[in-house]
Amino acid sequence: MKCRRCKELAQIALPSHHTAFCRDCFERYFIRQIETGIRRQKMFTHEDRILCALSGGKDSLALMWVLSHLGYDVTGLHVDLGIEGSSPMARGQVEAFCQDHDLKLVVVETAPKGLGIPEVYKALKRPICPVCGKIKRYYFNKTALEGGYTALTTGHNLDDEVARLFANTLRWDQSYLSDQGPALPAEAGFAAKVKPLYRVTEFETAAFCFLKKIPHVKAPCPYSKGASFTSHKALWATLEEKSPGSKIAFYDGFLERGRPAFAALEPGHGTKLSPCRTCGYPTSVEWCGVCRLKRQVAGLPPEAAEAEE
Amino acid sequence: MITVRIEPDNEVKTLEKINTTQQLLTRLNLLSTQALIIRGEELLTPDRRIGQGDELVVRKVVSLG
Repeated sequence: MKCRRCKELAQIALPSHHTAFCRDCFERYFIRQIETGIRRQKMFTHEDRILCALSGGKDSLALMWVLSHLGYDVTGLHVDLGIEGSSPMARGQVEAFCQDHDLKLVVVETAPKGLGIPEVYKALKRPICPVCGKIKRYYFNKTALEGGYTALTTGHNLDDEVARLFANTLRWDQSYLSDQGPALPAEAGFAAKVKPLYRVTEFETAAFCFLKKIPHVKAPCPYSKGASFTSHKALWATLEEKSPGSKIAFYDGFLERGRPAFAALEPGHGTKLSPCRTCGYPTSVEWCGVCRLKRQVAGLPPEAAEAEE
Repeated sequence: MITVRIEPDNEVKTLEKINTTQQLLTRLNLLSTQALIIRGEELLTPDRRIGQGDELVVRKVVSLG
């Protein structure tokens, strides 16, 4: 198989694009895909201060590398979830990456705030992924707003977005289908959230990290076993193998035609948000989910959350 | 015979009668975009030939959280 661009021996085959690339041409393709996503979705400019959430995995580190390479003012944010074995490894990977590339990094630890994942898991005794996601989003947003960042980027890739869209579609979740997308503008209490990797797959980010020699965490989170998104991804991998290009067609089609249709149904039906009585985070009830969770983990009654802080 | 180390499981297998990357993927029940096939410093596309005595890394790419 030859590189489509330079005709050298290819290292990466991309059936979804009916093409293959050598090392150098793949790097050029990958960066251009991200630039195209940023431009098409008007995610941010070189004037913005960008906070990039870094888990230590391939996607977020590849994203941070590319944003820095493109000259954006980007700072990394790592949320240390306090998971024995797993979190020190992830944090070490992120810190080493930022040090090696001379990049700014902010680290937030959840355990001292009463939200270490092992403690949360013990208190809830149910699948932890959605709760962990809620905690991370909370600290991403809080750090972005308090630090004056104008865009918050995450390493969600095309596979993540398709799996999420698929799950939302299976439930016909009108509310999520009305605003799922790679760019959510800032609104009261929320920083602008963007996903510049939405046009590349996790195969591509893994290949990019390998070729650029970016070390990253490969082991799965010890709490993620049985998560539904992995089975959705497996279904889509089979579909993509049989019909290359299905994922991007499904997602682009949704952005172009599906989302506007759902959004038209939503005005006036959205939930009204107000600041959490304890921390000020936007919530549809008196106290936000994270403040309620803190009390639950601490074994306190749900009422009077404001007394805690 | 070839030797493969499968990541992230860190499982090592020796396999016989594998002549191409695609055959290796099929033997491991993987689709072509579910894993990187690594030989030394290079990635192998599904059509590449695999030689006797090759030592490969199969790096699964699906995020598991």
